[in-house]
Amino acid sequence: MRQKIYTFLSLMIVWIIFAGKLTWDVFLVGGAASLLVSYFFSDMLFRKMSLDNNVFTHLKKFCLIIAFIPVFFYEAFIAALKVSRYAFSRKLDLNPGIIKVKTHLIDVTAITLLANLITLTPGTLTVDFDKSERCYYIHWLDVETKEEAETRKALLGRFEKWLEVIYH
Amino acid sequence: MIIRLTFAYLLMIMGAFFAIVTVIGLIRFPDVYTRIHAGAVVLTISAVLVCVGSAIYVWDFLLSLKILLVGGFFLFSNPMATHAIAKASYKRGIALPVEKTIDEYSTYLRRDSE
Repeated sequence: MRQKIYTFLSLMIVWIIFAGKLTWDVFLVGGAASLLVSYFFSDMLFRKMSLDNNVFTHLKKFCLIIAFIPVFFYEAFIAALKVSRYAFSRKLDLNPGIIKVKTHLIDVTAITLLANLITLTPGTLTVDFDKSERCYYIHWLDVETKEEAETRKALLGRFEKWLEVIYH
Repeated sequence: MIIRLTFAYLLMIMGAFFAIVTVIGLIRFPDVYTRIHAGAVVLTISAVLVCVGSAIYVWDFLLSLKILLVGGFFLFSNPMATHAIAKASYKRGIALPVEKTIDEYSTYLRRDSE
């Protein structure tokens, strides 16, 4: 039930932002649509909401995610500059390769988020995730080291620490 | 006012620069996987930069929020699409990497690379 209420509220907020004004007709149409969607598909947006009932932990998680965005954007910007250096270099000097990197994360959402973050920083691209061994297969534009520990540090390092704090 | 506008223009110009980088990368890089790096991932950064720049440019609460939401959807949907393209083209063998120093995914799929 609680899951459904949260889904309904977040859908309504997104709808009002997209509509751009707050009148009765907008409110009614959006309310009807998000009521239907939240009745049928509420388990897709928030998982395991009933397990821990503390509102404070959710609030903390949300604030940490908001605080994470600038950090991530800085990293992505630096990586994009690196890729543009490759694109403009006179002689194309790449050594791409697909490597295997293990992760500690257990939570499914955290694994998905980490895969997305790895893909979003240019220069690395998640190809697949192996569930049984808990490792990512990552295509790297410029393979610096083949050592297990060093690749972990270079690729996952900071992001994994953040996600471990958020989804402990 | 002037500071805000210059900041917005700066962000938009950076986005345009990354879009140019995307095109040059698409032409110059050797195979599918390296082209994905330029063609999808740098493009995401450029699109988000342009979105943030225009959100600062209009500076109207609901309108800016709407543009930022569009940027957020870019951030969510683009990595999924890139990942799907890369995985499908590798697993089906549509296009295998041309240049590579190391390839551990082929051993995972039990495929002889050499």
